Amino acid sequence: MSPESPANRGAPPPFHSKNERLHDRASMLRATRHFFEQRGVIEVDCPILSAQTSIDAHIDLIVAFYRGKEKRYLHSSPEFGMKRLLAEGIGDIYQLSHVFRDREWSSKHNPEFMMAEWYRAGFSFEEMVDETVQFIHLFLGKLPYSIVSYRDLFLQKVGIDYLTISEQELMDDVQRRGLPFYPSVLEEGKEALLNLILGSEIEPQLGEGELSVLAYYPASQAALAKKRWHGQEQIAERFEVYYQGMELANGYHELTDPHEQRERFHEANALRLSLGKEPLPLDEAFLQALEKGLPDCCGVAVGFDRLMMLRQGQKDIHEVLAWGWGSV
Amino acid sequence: MAQQVSTNEIRGGFKVQVEGQPYTIISNEFVKPGKGQAFNRIKMKHLLSGRVIERTFKSGDKLDVADVSESLMRLLYKEIDGVVFMDEKSFEQIKIPFENIGETAQWLLDDHLYEVIFYNGAPVTIEPPTFIEMIITETSPGFRGDTASGRVMKPAVLESGAKIQVPIFVEQGEKIKVDTRTGEYVSRVSG
Repeated sequence: MSPESPANRGAPPPFHSKNERLHDRASMLRATRHFFEQRGVIEVDCPILSAQTSIDAHIDLIVAFYRGKEKRYLHSSPEFGMKRLLAEGIGDIYQLSHVFRDREWSSKHNPEFMMAEWYRAGFSFEEMVDETVQFIHLFLGKLPYSIVSYRDLFLQKVGIDYLTISEQELMDDVQRRGLPFYPSVLEEGKEALLNLILGSEIEPQLGEGELSVLAYYPASQAALAKKRWHGQEQIAERFEVYYQGMELANGYHELTDPHEQRERFHEANALRLSLGKEPLPLDEAFLQALEKGLPDCCGVAVGFDRLMMLRQGQKDIHEVLAWGWGSV
Repeated sequence: MAQQVSTNEIRGGFKVQVEGQPYTIISNEFVKPGKGQAFNRIKMKHLLSGRVIERTFKSGDKLDVADVSESLMRLLYKEIDGVVFMDEKSFEQIKIPFENIGETAQWLLDDHLYEVIFYNGAPVTIEPPTFIEMIITETSPGFRGDTASGRVMKPAVLESGAKIQVPIFVEQGEKIKVDTRTGEYVSRVSG
């Protein structure tokens, strides 16, 4: 971070009014662009609206219609557009983009929110974690950070070894502890149970006085991260960063194999079907770009509005936005 | 079939029916870990017993809407086991037992209006107005010269029987305004 960057002007002022908060937001948008410019990462603005987009079992997209009849999706991340540019050899890039997710509205979620996403060719997983932490420092000051693996975290916090525990043992454990669960979680299996424990028992404890980097997810939760073997455990080179119980970032050592990518699309669509959701069209242009060759790279997406919430001490995301979902 | 509402739409104050029982929603927390399934942790208060429970639902699941309605009715008189209210339009009278009224009983005054809550068509409980004006029937005299801070409080009994804390400068026989949600003194009422 350079001495002249806006975030270095000492502690942020108190943010009593929306105007003060929006002035501060403008300064952090400037600081973000400065951060990337200093590192030789260039800004791109891939389209928000497209005919194909990312396929996640648990992310619902908002649909728009061109000429009132041609289906388009508001992107949930600029990932595919950016990766197509990477395959063209553009170099390191970032996008500061509004992204959209249906049915995500709470004190920490706005259905339309801002994401800072960037890609670094040749970066190791650890280098990407480190740069993500430096980006967060821009907003929150120089907090220490620690990296913990998904397996160790479950062992430490709830005494569960996710790798060896059976689905039945896991369910017994949830019931013995009196953890809250919803009935259909039984049919959805082990992944859903782990997700429930993470969300209700572990996440609220993450990032107390430091940034917690949760890394090396089970291969089954790879999303678009590369997988590799670590002893008996197949892990995904994926990380998330938490502070004060709030998820701030999701990063990958990016999957570059087009065949595996196609398989993962099919897996995600199969899971969507089992959850009663419609499958989504495969982005063939993106798959072609992978065929052409995506450089070995790491990428991360950071929730800009949540950083502003923590920086400005706001409990509700709508306080840091010009106009929250309830007022548009 | 009962009308339903999605966990995505549920806000504080909604009336729902869970496990056959009516509840008022207190809070609805949306939780979505990483790329996983979203769920909602919902806190709710039993409409009759006031007992608070927390339940987890998969996000997007639907809950039955409780058949709950409210009607403003006038308190006519209290009996040993309950309170009689009258609908001002139909002049129909109903009686609600004290056990359903619970702690609200301390805010009951004859000839005042209260929200009567109906569940499945039957009157079950009442809600007092948020602010209510009452006369102090009992309190010790204040000490002069001790009012500068304005924060010194003393116990008082109101005409409904409610026991609250009032500022030391307020006297017996005065009319005051009280917040029934917290049981706190708000202000003196002049005239």
